[in-house]
Amino acid sequence: MTAAGLASAQPGGGADAPGSAEQAGRLRLDGLTKVFRTRGADPVVAVDKVTLDVAPGEFITLLGPSGCGKTTTLRIVAGLEEATGGHVRLDGQPIDALPPQRRPMAMVFQSYALFPHLTVEQNIAYGLRVQRRGKEETETAIRIALTSMNLVGLENRSPHELSGGQQQRVALARALVVQPKVLLFDEPLSNLDAKLRGAMRAEIRRIQRRLGITSLYVTHDQDEAMTMSDRIVVMNKGRIEQVATPADIYFRPATVFVADFIGRANFIEVVPEQVDEGGATVTALGRTMTVPAHPDVRPNAGAYLMVRPETLSLAPAPMGGVGTVLRATFHGHSVDYEVETNAGTLAVTVPGPDPRTLLDEGANVSVAIDPARAYVLTKS
Amino acid sequence: MTASLTAAGPDAPAGPPGARRPRRRRELSVLLAVVACAVLVLVGSVFPIGAVLSAALSGEALPRYAEFFTSPVDLRILANTLVLGLLVGVAGTAIGFLFAFVQTRLDVPGKRVLHVMALVPVISPPFAVATATIVLFGRRGLVTHGLLGVEYDIYGLDGLVFVLSLSLFPVAYLGLLGMMRGLDPAMEEAAMTMGASRWRVFRTVMLPLLAPGIAAPFLLLFVEAIADLANPLVLGGDYTVLAGRAYLAVTGEYDTTSAAVYSLILLVPSLGVFLAQRYWLSRKVRTTITGKPSGSVHLITGWVRWPIYGLAVFVALIIAMLYGTVLAGGVTKVFGVDYTLTFDHLREVVLGVGREALADTTTLAMIATPVAGIFGMLIAWLVVRHLGRLGGWLDFAGTLGVAVPGTVLGIGYLLAYRPDRYIGDVLVLPALVGGGAVAGGAAAIVLAYIVRSVPAGLRTGTAALSQVHRSLEEASTNLGAGPMRTFRTITLPLIRPALLTGLSYSFARCMTSISTIILLVTPGTQIITSQILSAAGTGRYGVAFAYCTVLTVIVLAGFGVIRLLVGRTATLNRIAEGRQR
Amino acid sequence: MMTFPHRTSRQPSTERRPHTGAPYRRPRLTAALAITGAVAIAGTGCARTDAPGGQAATADAGRVTVACGATEEWCAAMASTFTAKTGVKADFVRLSSGEALARIQAGRSNTEFDVWHGGPSDAYAAAAEQGLLEKYVSPNAAAIPAKYKDADGDWTGVYVGVLGFCNNTQVLAEKGVKAPESWADLAGPGLKQNVGIAHPSTSGTAYTTLWTQVVLNGGTPEGALAYMRKLHPNVLQYSKSGVAPAQQAARGEVGVGIVFSHDCVATQEQGFPHLKLTFPAEGTGYEVGGVAVLKGAHNPVSAKKYVDFALTPAAQELGPTVKAYQVPTHPDAKRSDKVVDLNAVRLVDYDSAAAGKAKADLTRMFDDQVARAPKA
Repeated sequence: MTAAGLASAQPGGGADAPGSAEQAGRLRLDGLTKVFRTRGADPVVAVDKVTLDVAPGEFITLLGPSGCGKTTTLRIVAGLEEATGGHVRLDGQPIDALPPQRRPMAMVFQSYALFPHLTVEQNIAYGLRVQRRGKEETETAIRIALTSMNLVGLENRSPHELSGGQQQRVALARALVVQPKVLLFDEPLSNLDAKLRGAMRAEIRRIQRRLGITSLYVTHDQDEAMTMSDRIVVMNKGRIEQVATPADIYFRPATVFVADFIGRANFIEVVPEQVDEGGATVTALGRTMTVPAHPDVRPNAGAYLMVRPETLSLAPAPMGGVGTVLRATFHGHSVDYEVETNAGTLAVTVPGPDPRTLLDEGANVSVAIDPARAYVLTKS
Repeated sequence: MTASLTAAGPDAPAGPPGARRPRRRRELSVLLAVVACAVLVLVGSVFPIGAVLSAALSGEALPRYAEFFTSPVDLRILANTLVLGLLVGVAGTAIGFLFAFVQTRLDVPGKRVLHVMALVPVISPPFAVATATIVLFGRRGLVTHGLLGVEYDIYGLDGLVFVLSLSLFPVAYLGLLGMMRGLDPAMEEAAMTMGASRWRVFRTVMLPLLAPGIAAPFLLLFVEAIADLANPLVLGGDYTVLAGRAYLAVTGEYDTTSAAVYSLILLVPSLGVFLAQRYWLSRKVRTTITGKPSGSVHLITGWVRWPIYGLAVFVALIIAMLYGTVLAGGVTKVFGVDYTLTFDHLREVVLGVGREALADTTTLAMIATPVAGIFGMLIAWLVVRHLGRLGGWLDFAGTLGVAVPGTVLGIGYLLAYRPDRYIGDVLVLPALVGGGAVAGGAAAIVLAYIVRSVPAGLRTGTAALSQVHRSLEEASTNLGAGPMRTFRTITLPLIRPALLTGLSYSFARCMTSISTIILLVTPGTQIITSQILSAAGTGRYGVAFAYCTVLTVIVLAGFGVIRLLVGRTATLNRIAEGRQR
Repeated sequence: MMTFPHRTSRQPSTERRPHTGAPYRRPRLTAALAITGAVAIAGTGCARTDAPGGQAATADAGRVTVACGATEEWCAAMASTFTAKTGVKADFVRLSSGEALARIQAGRSNTEFDVWHGGPSDAYAAAAEQGLLEKYVSPNAAAIPAKYKDADGDWTGVYVGVLGFCNNTQVLAEKGVKAPESWADLAGPGLKQNVGIAHPSTSGTAYTTLWTQVVLNGGTPEGALAYMRKLHPNVLQYSKSGVAPAQQAARGEVGVGIVFSHDCVATQEQGFPHLKLTFPAEGTGYEVGGVAVLKGAHNPVSAKKYVDFALTPAAQELGPTVKAYQVPTHPDAKRSDKVVDLNAVRLVDYDSAAAGKAKADLTRMFDDQVARAPKA
């Protein structure tokens, strides 16, 4: 019995929301806004006009620093918070008036929220019992869930008798077994140790792909977002900075914030001479090159040239070069250099360094930019 | 940037122009719960207090205030009341602190026994101690006259302070115990490593930190002391207090206006201090003593512990003596004069005239306790989870039952519910109080019991709910369960230990309650505490003691039954805290 | 040097709503408010002090509720004997005189009691004055002497009690004081804080004492209060119940208790030694214990049956069986030898009608001027 069995063994969907089976799970957030008002303090805008389209079966991650509004957005979708403005639509129908228990969604909480007084089996069965599925149906569903989540033998344990990873899986099973149209994840892996986290990431992604359930995932860990998502929504201060695939986020960040939040980036101030289909023509570190650019970049207006540290190459230049090594940090598998240039202090990462070519502090170097992997951003 | 709500703004999604954004409808079950709680609180507390206020501020009442504040006799009564409150507050808190200190900071044997002794007064009726005090320490008291040959007039302020301190100190003790356990020993350790002696540490570190925590039980004891009716009636002598005066105004003269005036004058310090303690002080306490203590407690092992311990043991012995007297007095002919063993008193109580009182009181308490428990939990749940600002009002109204002196509440019931209430010729609310009323007046008594017990359930419920992580309830909702179902299947099982405590305390309180219901007793409803008062008042101490003993037995039996019914406790508590970040 | 935008959060974490995290943010409680509003209006509905419609004179549930003014045992004996004799169930509540009057007043529109039995007639007279009693002349009342019943038939007397001093000889010996033989003796210096008396507001016994002082001191309230003021320093405390002073004397808490003589005898019988009765030479007051039907009684027929019963010799002979030694009013009732001989004591001219009329004012004056004064 595979995880796919989870979906196919149950006749039809038990949920309320309208929409045909193929369309099931198209989520649209329309100008969602949430303002918190507390007496004696200024109102806080936690979510600011968030608009997002999620295709059925898509895995979308909300990524951002703490306080950026990603969890609040998730909770609004779940119905646990009421939005101040905007709408949430599921398969074309607005669901704002529906209380959380009537939304065909299931959530996996950061603390797992397993009911401590119920056994594993009772926890998983909870949603089914609320829906009043028949005894046989429920038992079958539970059996499948236990098998596919590798929890066989733990049915009668209490949550506090399980390890962190096992609790995680129970929480996931509990959410999946009610056949939601949308799966919501609120930083579910942050309580696990690194190794387990990696394994669980893969597990969640695998299940989600097989079942094809639309998923909304919140995390502040960019690595998690990059490895798991179909698309990433980078949020900052309640606003969406960019919605794109991991590759696009990485190579073509829309704003300085996104570029800096994902991975590391160097920003060199430039003024593009010309902007056309092929990109922007800029001069940096003494070279003129044509670099892919953000659509909003205009010629003769200040912009940033974003260069990732691993795309810069260094070569010793004893006869004066472009820069001087300020510091070298040896990681074993790579070396990080801080290089002082006339364009500022650049971070350079050299992967798999040759021990014979390690540079010392104070060395003069030439720095080469790979135009194909650089990107020009507006200064906003 | 603020967002406007209606969809009329320019960035609204397409829809019929002027269409309002669909507002979330409140859950029906939550609404019903709110209505039920609101009705209970209104009928049980707000209306009676309102009746007292309207009588106290009516035209006929106003000249009474001038009379009161110009009459030296009345002013003396007011002074008496406040002085009593102050002294009991100090004495009771001191004793409570002593016991708490011994428990948490001294290395001495027999701590468990001391702990149990400190809690004995909770389950006994208020004037058990008073009557025993007269017998032991009165003019012909066994100890004062018999042992020491002293003729000591125990009636009056000294007797009252003695009795009330011993009866009320458990409240202070429990509060201070929790607080001292929560005090981080690392602070004391830090002070010690800097060279401070233990006494200096106590003076400069412990006491200042505990100060707001000590003020809280002091204020609480003050409120309870000025509201007390039973002890002044038995032991007051000529030391008249406001509660007693108000009571006499009703029973002796049926002068409800005067009674209302006295009630209002009593209500002001009572309510004021109670509010101060709850809303201002408790906030301060929370900020100074929080969190999990690290480090280990250094128990005092020097010689200095023995005098302190001795003091506590001395107090415990007095308590033991008093309750021993109660027990013995119930089975001797006339304790202090004639020590022949007799079961006549017990016979009268259990088989004779007292039988109806036992049955009535226990029945009414058994009806009231679960209702109070449920409503206490329900209000706590609504206030903590579902209502915003409105919740504060509901919480306050729910606590009124205890913030207001019992006598005042009783008078309020008399004023509000004795007459039938009509609008035109239509009977809107039949009389609830008095022999001719609904259920022979039992309805009012049950209501009074409930209203006086809800606050305790509310307090434990609020504390317990804040331990249950919100995500558990959210998960349940997320899986499709409505608020009521979530409450029933998730929340309630997890707060069961609190429910157990709340129910037990409610039952004990109902059974030992006197000041409210003494004015509500009717021929059809005999109440044990009223019988005790009558027996003590006519000098039939043996019977009074027998009643007290039987009452305590019933309360303990009730504890057992509740524990059996409500079930297992223990481990769930810790787990319910959930996985925190 | 370039500064890059940092990843620090500059806002407070706002992802949870600041204090409760309540998902339902805006309470829409209109329905709830409507319902509670309805209850509120109901609560302010006018209180009617007159019950609508009259009570049919023959409506009767076959039971009777008694407000009983004598001791608990006496009340119980009366009730059970009545039930045994007539089959009508009887409930009682033991109340001291002032309390009983107050409760009957309070229950004016909806009486809890059917009959008032026992307790001094002063209170009955006061009640009659306020229209709280139902006139009923029982056929059995013919045998009762005229001075022991109300001329208008409001109440009839069932026993007589004489006010006396209940002395604890041991305490008095310790204090070196003789047992008082007069009111003057009682107020004397030797008995400081050693006299027990009840409060006239609640206790019929104490009110009888007070009215006796009125009679003995020129028939004016001022005269009575003057004596009480003299007595005040000797009083330990004004107890609520009239029989308490006997108990206090018996236990030795006071040297002398002012009670009806039968209470002193009864206390002696409880097993207390050292008790001796004396009577004031100037003259003492007495009470006539009454029985009456209350106006608006729910069980008027049974009530009348009860009154008939109370006036029979058999009922009046129940007293001694429960250690109650009042003098029965029915001439045919057998008198126990523990009952006081009315001819041996000097009685004052006690007008209970006048006493009853003056009760409210006199007790208030007493309370204000005497009771709460300091004992210095």
